[in-house]
Amino acid sequence: MQSIILFLILISTYLMVIAKRTPALIRAFRYQSFCLFWATLVIAIAEKQMELFVVAGLLFILKVVFIPQLLYRTIKRLNAAEDLGLFVNPQLSLLWALGFTYLSWLFASGLTGSADAKTMILAVAFFAVLAGIFLMIFRMTALAQIIGLLVMENGIFLLASMVSGGMPFFVEIAIFFDVFVSVLIMGFFVYRINKFFTHIDVNKLSRLRG
Amino acid sequence: MLELLSKQFFFFDPLSLFFLLVIGIVSLPCAVYSLGYLRGEYSRPKIIFSRILLAVFILSMAAVVTAGNLLVFLVAWESMSLVSYFFVIFDTTHERSIRAGTIYIVMTHIGTAFLVAGFMLFYKYAHAFDFISIRNACFIMPSPVKNTIFILFLIGFGTKAGIVPLHIWLPYAHPQAPSHISSLMSGVMIKTAVYALVRFVIFILGVDSPWWGILILLLAVSSCLVGVIYALMERDIKRLLAYSSVENMGIILLGIGLAMLFIAARMPYLAVFSLIAGLYHLINHAIFKGLLFLGAGSVYKATGTRDIEKLGGLIKKMPQTAFCFLIGSLAISALPPLNGFVSEWLTLQAFFIGALNSAGGTKLFLGICAGLLALTSGLAAACFVKAFGIVFLGLPRSNYAQGAGEAPLSMRAGMFFLSLLAVIFGLASGYIINLLAATAAAVLDVDISGMRFALNNLVLTPQTARSIYLNVPLLALALAGTAALGWIAHRLFCKFKPVIYNTWDCGYYKIGARNQYSGTAFSKPFRIAFSFFLLPYRKTQKIRESFYHVKSFAYETHTTFVFKKYVYLPLIALVLKGAKSMRRIQPGSIHLYLGYIFSALLLLLIFMNKF
Amino acid sequence: MKIFLIILQLLFFTAVAPFLSGLITKLKNNFRMRQGPGILQPYFNLAKLFRKGEVVSATSSWIFKAAPYVVISSALTAALCIPVFIFPAPLNHAGDFLAVIFIFALGRFFLALAALDTASSFGGMGASREMFISSLVEPALCLTVFSIFLQFGSTSLSAFSGIHAVSIAALIAALALFLVTIAETSRIPVDNQETHLELTMVHEAMVLEYSGRPLALIEMALHVKQMVWFFLIAQLIFPITAFSPGASVFLWCAWYFVRIFIIVLAVALVEVSVAKMRLFRVADFLGFIFVLGVIGSICAMLGV
Repeated sequence: MQSIILFLILISTYLMVIAKRTPALIRAFRYQSFCLFWATLVIAIAEKQMELFVVAGLLFILKVVFIPQLLYRTIKRLNAAEDLGLFVNPQLSLLWALGFTYLSWLFASGLTGSADAKTMILAVAFFAVLAGIFLMIFRMTALAQIIGLLVMENGIFLLASMVSGGMPFFVEIAIFFDVFVSVLIMGFFVYRINKFFTHIDVNKLSRLRG
Repeated sequence: MLELLSKQFFFFDPLSLFFLLVIGIVSLPCAVYSLGYLRGEYSRPKIIFSRILLAVFILSMAAVVTAGNLLVFLVAWESMSLVSYFFVIFDTTHERSIRAGTIYIVMTHIGTAFLVAGFMLFYKYAHAFDFISIRNACFIMPSPVKNTIFILFLIGFGTKAGIVPLHIWLPYAHPQAPSHISSLMSGVMIKTAVYALVRFVIFILGVDSPWWGILILLLAVSSCLVGVIYALMERDIKRLLAYSSVENMGIILLGIGLAMLFIAARMPYLAVFSLIAGLYHLINHAIFKGLLFLGAGSVYKATGTRDIEKLGGLIKKMPQTAFCFLIGSLAISALPPLNGFVSEWLTLQAFFIGALNSAGGTKLFLGICAGLLALTSGLAAACFVKAFGIVFLGLPRSNYAQGAGEAPLSMRAGMFFLSLLAVIFGLASGYIINLLAATAAAVLDVDISGMRFALNNLVLTPQTARSIYLNVPLLALALAGTAALGWIAHRLFCKFKPVIYNTWDCGYYKIGARNQYSGTAFSKPFRIAFSFFLLPYRKTQKIRESFYHVKSFAYETHTTFVFKKYVYLPLIALVLKGAKSMRRIQPGSIHLYLGYIFSALLLLLIFMNKF
Repeated sequence: MKIFLIILQLLFFTAVAPFLSGLITKLKNNFRMRQGPGILQPYFNLAKLFRKGEVVSATSSWIFKAAPYVVISSALTAALCIPVFIFPAPLNHAGDFLAVIFIFALGRFFLALAALDTASSFGGMGASREMFISSLVEPALCLTVFSIFLQFGSTSLSAFSGIHAVSIAALIAALALFLVTIAETSRIPVDNQETHLELTMVHEAMVLEYSGRPLALIEMALHVKQMVWFFLIAQLIFPITAFSPGASVFLWCAWYFVRIFIIVLAVALVEVSVAKMRLFRVADFLGFIFVLGVIGSICAMLGV
């Protein structure tokens, strides 16, 4: 069961990396969050902890329902937000992603020594983090940056919950709240940026250099 | 508890006490002087602020010379530099002040960086911060480390002391500060750098190699000559005095360098003698340079200008200030029976006796250095004939000088106090030399009971063949006596009263202030003689009404500032070019910055993987 | 007794110094196949100046009035430092050769200030040139003193009296001192004492404004200074010991004056043989003396 979930997370991350347009990216993010929710649910049922149910629920509401909706709505309001602005084309991105996968596998096996289940989880989680950073670097628009951040957060959540049995409850709640508020704010600001500059291309910031 | 703390942080030995004396005798008249000087120049809150700053400044200088701990020293050093920076930019209305302040603060911090590096090396070997432990550790320090520390300290403290080629901030910063601060900076602050050199290099580090002394001698001789030649060319009084400070710092360092040379050559008595000469010139310079700056400040306050080409005839309008400035000029030109004469004589004697006791090459080197010292003293006398003569004597050259009045009492009191000290330090030189001998012996750990320094007899131990003699009061008596004889010859049976008439004008009847020699004209022979170094150039501009009729002709003559042009500007250009090429890693793109973070993270992980 | 000898020394210098100047002038004129003024003319000049009143410039201050006193005092104090009748000299414990250099500098400083005090162009010019020449003389002089010091082990002026060995180093030092004397006493080729053309004046330009008794004092100071230098050179190459009771009085006195006469003759010869140098050539001349000083030091180091 666990390996299926990990496999699905991996696939969804690849989908994110090769996405050409923003709705595709958001859809893949949704899949990833859903798999994450499923994994947390499985653990919650296995451990029978109330807190984990709450966490899983929050995960579902926030990352599978609310945030993608918010992002879709933002896209609709902005006219030219569908274009993701790729620095590297999807095929090369996929190669990069494969490289990152290998790297994270190396790191994970180096860390844990053997090649058991924990290594797989560590590798996938770490790969998710790397993919998030990749999205932030190699995609031009501000929306991609937001989503990259969210993906990184996903990866860390996966790492924490599966390797060390989850973070303390309050920390989880706090993180969720953080993510919620930040995405709210960022969505709003992206709209404002677009209104003022008529684009959300972050690369154009280099015009401000002295 | 307090005593334990004070033992840990402060260190009182004869050298520190001597420097406290220097600080004290110059700070007192400067503070009194500032009462009259600041009134009317700045607003009341600013004056109160300047008084607070002055107190902090004097306290920080006192802390520098009494610090017993590297950290206390650094804190005091930094606060001294910062407070003096605030003073340099005190006159914020002038753009020159801000520029001078920038140059000053950058250079002083470069120096501080070097000395922090030296301190870090100290800590590495001593694992303690206080001076005694470091001194013990330095006995067993390997020689290359000692050499490195010496070079670091030389650059670090040399920047503050104003040794060529690190002197470039002095002529900018000292003129811009208020005059009592200029005199404190020039009289005391740059001396603390000499204190630090003596303390850290001679006392703590311990001199082993002779090339240290020779390097300092070379730098000192070049400071002397460069300083005095530029001073001769200046037309701003305070800049002239600032360059003259560079020259006198060179003379002080001649004494210190000689002391280092003799310590390394295992001639402790000669080292004591040279150190006495250096320290004597130090306190003398503090006195007469302080006096000269206060005098220049009075002139500035009375006339509103520092340009000597616009002054003249001030001796009639400010007689007491002129008298004090004259005493200062006489002292700095090393004329008997004032204090400058004694210290220069001592330095020359230190060179001579040292040469007598050295081997071949060093002998000639010391002799030539002594000759160059004599050259600078002659040039300094010429410089101050120019300074005093053009500013105070003759006819007023402009309206600035016409409207001058005597300085207020507080300013005059400060100047008189320092003039009195100049005379006392000259006449009581025997007594002062005894005090200095005790100080120098304490620094160098030498037993000087075999040497006798008395009022009329300096006897050194068997290392010299004969005794050397100087008796300043007797000389003063002889000078006064023969001058009295001259006066008697003048007035005895004289039936005539002097007739007051115009100066001889060759028959022209329109002789006026424009016919006098100007300062630039006075120093023209020097400009030509030293043109290989000064590289003078001129700019002329003719305005013609027609081809044959020239309506006006403007003539400017300049000297090139070699250090600024050939050393500093290329260096600054290089640094800026490097910075510009470094700027290319910052194109403003967020993605690139994130990429930097990312790659750093990846590299770290790969590294961690390996290990 | 000591006081008496000091006064005797002062009187000796003031009495004999103008004679030496007159002697030089007479010798020069003899070389030029002229009659010229008599040997005692400087005395008559001084007497004339003492009889005249003085005119003081309106622009001048107390420095102008004080300078003659300082100048004569510096010359006479230096004279007291030379051993003439008493070995060692009266002020031997007060000043040595270096102190004498600075004492002369004191007189020069005040004279230059007095020249600037009158606000005349001549004064400024004289002061500027005089300070220029003197500042370049100083290193040459210092190095000569250094070579003397290396030979005799002391800078005291009485140290090289009574030493009979004359060495190459002493001769070179004496030559350097001779050339320095020419510069310091304003003789051709550095300066011309007989001229009043502003192109050629250095010392004369500084004292242009003086008249009457102060001028007499300054002229006397110049004579005394010249005599001091002659005695120094004589001491170096023709050393003389104190008068010992066994020797002949006549021979001692004769030798005493003959050695001064030789130097006077040399000065007169130099003055008639060469032309006055341009001011900026004087710098080269003084540099030559510096080099002589270095060579003298090297010879002294080698013990030659």
